[in-house]
Amino acid sequence: MADIKLAFLIQRPPYKSENPKLGLTHAISYQTVEILLEDGETVTPTVCVVGEGVLGCVKDQKAMELYGITSTEMHVKSCLLVDLDVLVCKEDLARFGISEDMMPDAEDMGADKTIQVVPYAEIQKVIENANHVLFF
Amino acid sequence: MKLAVFVSDFKLDVDTLDRLKADKLGIILVQNGVYHATLKENGAASSLLKKSATFYALKDDIETRGLGSAAVDGSVKTVSYGDIVDLIFNDYDKIAWL
Repeated sequence: MADIKLAFLIQRPPYKSENPKLGLTHAISYQTVEILLEDGETVTPTVCVVGEGVLGCVKDQKAMELYGITSTEMHVKSCLLVDLDVLVCKEDLARFGISEDMMPDAEDMGADKTIQVVPYAEIQKVIENANHVLFF
Repeated sequence: MKLAVFVSDFKLDVDTLDRLKADKLGIILVQNGVYHATLKENGAASSLLKKSATFYALKDDIETRGLGSAAVDGSVKTVSYGDIVDLIFNDYDKIAWL
Protein backbone atom coordinates (compact mmCIF):
# COMPACT_ATOMS: atom_id res chain seq x y z
CA MET A 1 0.00 0.00 0.00
CA ALA A 2 1.50 3.30 -1.08
CA ASP A 3 0.51 6.82 -0.19
CA ILE A 4 1.85 9.45 -2.56
CA LYS A 5 2.22 12.77 -0.83
CA LEU A 6 1.94 15.92 -2.93
CA ALA A 7 2.80 19.42 -1.74
CA PHE A 8 1.22 22.28 -3.70
CA LEU A 9 3.05 25.52 -2.99
CA ILE A 10 1.01 28.62 -3.80
CA GLN A 11 3.45 31.52 -3.88
CA ARG A 12 1.99 34.18 -6.19
CA PRO A 13 -0.64 36.89 -5.60
CA PRO A 14 -4.24 35.78 -6.14
CA TYR A 15 -5.05 37.70 -9.34
CA LYS A 16 -3.60 38.87 -12.64
CA SER A 17 -2.17 35.41 -13.18
CA GLU A 18 -4.30 32.26 -13.12
CA ASN A 19 -1.33 30.46 -11.60
CA PRO A 20 -2.40 30.32 -7.94
CA LYS A 21 -5.95 29.30 -8.77
CA LEU A 22 -4.56 26.65 -11.11
CA GLY A 23 -2.50 25.22 -8.25
CA LEU A 24 -5.52 25.07 -6.00
CA THR A 25 -7.59 23.47 -8.76
CA HIS A 26 -4.94 20.81 -9.28
CA ALA A 27 -4.91 20.09 -5.56
CA ILE A 28 -8.70 19.80 -5.49
CA SER A 29 -8.68 17.45 -8.46
CA TYR A 30 -6.62 14.83 -6.60
CA GLN A 31 -9.79 12.85 -6.01
CA THR A 32 -10.22 12.19 -9.72
CA VAL A 33 -6.76 10.64 -9.83
CA GLU A 34 -7.88 7.83 -7.60
CA ILE A 35 -9.59 6.04 -10.50
CA LEU A 36 -6.13 5.60 -12.03
CA LEU A 37 -4.59 4.07 -8.92
CA GLU A 38 -4.16 0.44 -7.98
CA ASP A 39 -6.02 -0.93 -4.99
CA GLY A 40 -4.49 0.32 -1.79
CA GLU A 41 -2.77 3.27 -3.38
CA THR A 42 -3.69 6.73 -2.19
CA VAL A 43 -2.75 10.32 -2.95
CA THR A 44 -2.55 12.91 -0.18
CA PRO A 45 -2.19 16.50 -1.31
CA THR A 46 -1.36 19.36 1.02
CA VAL A 47 -1.77 23.00 0.02
CA CYS A 48 0.95 25.29 1.37
CA VAL A 49 0.46 29.01 0.90
CA VAL A 50 3.60 31.10 1.17
CA GLY A 51 4.99 34.48 0.15
CA GLU A 52 2.59 36.67 -1.80
CA GLY A 53 0.32 33.67 -2.09
CA VAL A 54 -1.04 34.52 1.36
CA LEU A 55 -2.71 37.56 -0.20
CA GLY A 56 -5.22 35.10 -1.66
CA CYS A 57 -6.27 34.07 1.84
CA VAL A 58 -8.28 37.23 2.49
CA LYS A 59 -12.06 36.89 2.77
CA ASP A 60 -14.76 38.96 1.04
CA GLN A 61 -13.03 38.94 -2.34
CA LYS A 62 -15.45 40.40 -4.89
CA ALA A 63 -14.01 38.89 -8.05
CA MET A 64 -17.33 37.36 -9.13
CA GLU A 65 -19.36 40.50 -8.51
CA LEU A 66 -16.91 42.84 -10.22
CA TYR A 67 -15.26 40.74 -12.92
CA GLY A 68 -17.41 37.64 -13.23
CA ILE A 69 -14.61 35.29 -12.29
CA THR A 70 -14.36 32.83 -9.45
CA SER A 71 -12.43 34.29 -6.57
CA THR A 72 -9.27 32.78 -5.20
CA GLU A 73 -11.08 32.80 -1.86
CA MET A 74 -13.65 30.39 -3.33
CA HIS A 75 -10.86 28.09 -4.51
CA VAL A 76 -9.37 28.08 -1.01
CA LYS A 77 -12.79 27.30 0.46
CA SER A 78 -13.26 24.48 -2.05
CA CYS A 79 -9.96 23.01 -0.88
CA LEU A 80 -11.28 23.00 2.67
CA LEU A 81 -14.58 21.50 1.53
CA VAL A 82 -12.81 18.46 0.05
CA ASP A 83 -10.85 18.06 3.28
CA LEU A 84 -7.48 19.22 2.06
CA ASP A 85 -5.00 20.49 4.57
CA VAL A 86 -4.41 24.14 3.77
CA LEU A 87 -1.34 25.48 5.55
CA VAL A 88 -0.66 29.20 5.45
CA CYS A 89 2.69 30.63 6.44
CA LYS A 90 2.45 32.55 9.68
CA GLU A 91 5.51 34.70 9.00
CA ASP A 92 4.23 35.81 5.59
CA LEU A 93 0.82 36.69 7.02
CA ALA A 94 2.55 38.86 9.60
CA ARG A 95 4.75 40.40 6.91
CA PHE A 96 1.68 41.60 5.00
CA GLY A 97 -0.35 42.50 8.07
CA ILE A 98 -3.02 39.86 7.47
CA SER A 99 -4.66 38.76 10.70
CA GLU A 100 -6.47 35.46 11.16
CA ASP A 101 -9.84 37.20 11.37
CA MET A 102 -9.29 38.48 7.82
CA MET A 103 -9.06 34.92 6.51
CA PRO A 104 -11.96 32.88 5.12
CA ASP A 105 -13.41 29.63 6.36
CA ALA A 106 -15.76 27.30 4.53
CA GLU A 107 -18.17 26.69 7.35
CA ASP A 108 -21.02 28.08 5.21
CA MET A 109 -20.28 25.35 2.65
CA GLY A 110 -20.28 22.65 5.31
CA ALA A 111 -16.54 22.12 5.49
CA ASP A 112 -15.01 20.61 8.59
CA LYS A 113 -11.49 21.76 7.81
CA THR A 114 -10.20 25.25 8.44
CA ILE A 115 -7.09 27.06 7.28
CA GLN A 116 -4.10 26.22 9.44
CA VAL A 117 -1.71 29.06 10.17
CA VAL A 118 1.70 27.51 10.73
CA PRO A 119 5.32 28.62 10.95
CA TYR A 120 7.33 28.18 7.77
CA ALA A 121 9.30 25.41 9.49
CA GLU A 122 6.17 23.27 9.39
CA ILE A 123 5.70 23.92 5.68
CA GLN A 124 9.32 22.95 5.19
CA LYS A 125 8.56 19.59 6.83
CA VAL A 126 5.63 19.04 4.46
CA ILE A 127 7.95 19.75 1.52
CA GLU A 128 10.57 17.35 2.84
CA ASN A 129 8.03 14.58 3.37
CA ALA A 130 6.33 15.02 -0.02
CA ASN A 131 7.05 12.71 -2.93
CA HIS A 132 6.39 15.58 -5.32
CA VAL A 133 6.47 19.33 -4.77
CA LEU A 134 4.58 21.51 -7.22
CA PHE A 135 5.12 25.27 -7.32
CA PHE A 136 2.43 27.67 -8.49
CA MET B 1 4.62 66.58 -19.97
CA LYS B 2 1.64 65.34 -18.03
CA LEU B 3 2.16 61.62 -17.66
CA ALA B 4 -0.05 58.97 -16.13
CA VAL B 5 1.54 55.61 -15.40
CA PHE B 6 -0.47 52.49 -14.74
CA VAL B 7 1.24 50.16 -12.29
CA SER B 8 -0.26 46.68 -12.35
CA ASP B 9 2.29 44.65 -10.36
CA PHE B 10 3.12 44.59 -6.69
CA LYS B 11 6.77 43.72 -7.16
CA LEU B 12 8.26 45.78 -9.96
CA ASP B 13 11.06 44.07 -11.80
CA VAL B 14 11.85 47.08 -13.98
CA ASP B 15 13.14 50.49 -12.91
CA THR B 16 11.46 52.41 -15.71
CA LEU B 17 9.22 54.21 -13.27
CA ASP B 18 12.25 55.70 -11.50
CA ARG B 19 13.57 57.04 -14.80
CA LEU B 20 10.39 58.63 -16.08
CA LYS B 21 10.33 62.40 -15.60
CA ALA B 22 7.21 64.50 -15.92
CA ASP B 23 5.99 67.93 -14.90
CA LYS B 24 2.89 66.24 -13.65
CA LEU B 25 3.07 62.56 -12.78
CA GLY B 26 0.08 60.44 -11.92
CA ILE B 27 0.44 56.85 -10.81
CA ILE B 28 -2.67 54.76 -11.28
CA LEU B 29 -2.56 51.53 -9.30
CA VAL B 30 -4.53 48.72 -10.90
CA GLN B 31 -4.62 44.91 -10.67
CA ASN B 32 -1.87 43.77 -8.26
CA GLY B 33 -0.59 47.33 -8.22
CA VAL B 34 -3.31 48.15 -5.68
CA TYR B 35 -1.29 46.30 -3.05
CA HIS B 36 1.08 49.30 -3.06
CA ALA B 37 -1.83 51.32 -1.70
CA THR B 38 -3.16 48.78 0.76
CA LEU B 39 -0.31 46.73 2.22
CA LYS B 40 2.24 47.69 4.78
CA GLU B 41 4.91 45.08 4.28
CA ASN B 42 6.67 44.58 7.63
CA GLY B 43 4.76 47.61 8.83
CA ALA B 44 6.09 49.96 6.17
CA ALA B 45 4.13 51.52 3.33
CA SER B 46 5.28 50.77 -0.21
CA SER B 47 8.35 52.74 -1.25
CA LEU B 48 6.46 53.58 -4.43
CA LEU B 49 4.31 55.97 -2.42
CA LYS B 50 7.39 58.06 -1.62
CA LYS B 51 7.55 59.23 -5.22
CA SER B 52 6.53 62.74 -6.09
CA ALA B 53 3.28 61.91 -7.83
CA THR B 54 -0.46 61.90 -7.50
CA PHE B 55 -1.65 58.39 -6.66
CA TYR B 56 -4.88 56.70 -7.65
CA ALA B 57 -6.04 53.14 -6.98
CA LEU B 58 -8.84 51.33 -8.77
CA LYS B 59 -11.66 50.55 -6.34
CA ASP B 60 -12.80 47.42 -8.21
CA ASP B 61 -9.35 45.85 -7.99
CA ILE B 62 -9.07 46.68 -4.28
CA GLU B 63 -12.41 45.05 -3.55
CA THR B 64 -11.69 42.07 -5.80
CA ARG B 65 -8.80 41.27 -3.46
CA GLY B 66 -10.96 41.38 -0.35
CA LEU B 67 -9.65 44.74 0.74
CA GLY B 68 -11.62 47.88 1.45
CA SER B 69 -11.23 51.63 1.41
CA ALA B 70 -10.10 51.53 5.04
CA ALA B 71 -6.94 49.72 3.98
CA VAL B 72 -5.96 52.36 1.43
CA ASP B 73 -3.05 54.66 2.31
CA GLY B 74 -4.07 58.26 2.91
CA SER B 75 -1.90 59.48 0.04
CA VAL B 76 -3.89 57.47 -2.50
CA LYS B 77 -7.24 58.44 -4.00
CA THR B 78 -9.63 55.58 -4.70
CA VAL B 79 -11.12 55.82 -8.19
CA SER B 80 -13.63 54.02 -10.39
CA TYR B 81 -13.16 52.96 -14.01
CA GLY B 82 -15.12 56.07 -15.01
CA ASP B 83 -12.77 58.26 -13.01
CA ILE B 84 -9.79 56.73 -14.78
CA VAL B 85 -11.33 57.52 -18.16
CA ASP B 86 -11.75 61.12 -17.02
CA LEU B 87 -8.12 61.25 -15.85
CA ILE B 88 -6.90 59.96 -19.20
CA PHE B 89 -8.94 62.44 -21.20
CA ASN B 90 -8.77 65.49 -18.96
CA ASP B 91 -5.66 65.40 -16.80
CA TYR B 92 -2.80 63.67 -18.60
CA ASP B 93 -1.23 63.98 -22.06
CA LYS B 94 0.49 60.63 -22.17
CA ILE B 95 -0.21 57.23 -20.71
CA ALA B 96 2.22 54.44 -19.90
CA TRP B 97 1.59 50.94 -18.57
CA LEU B 98 4.22 49.20 -16.47
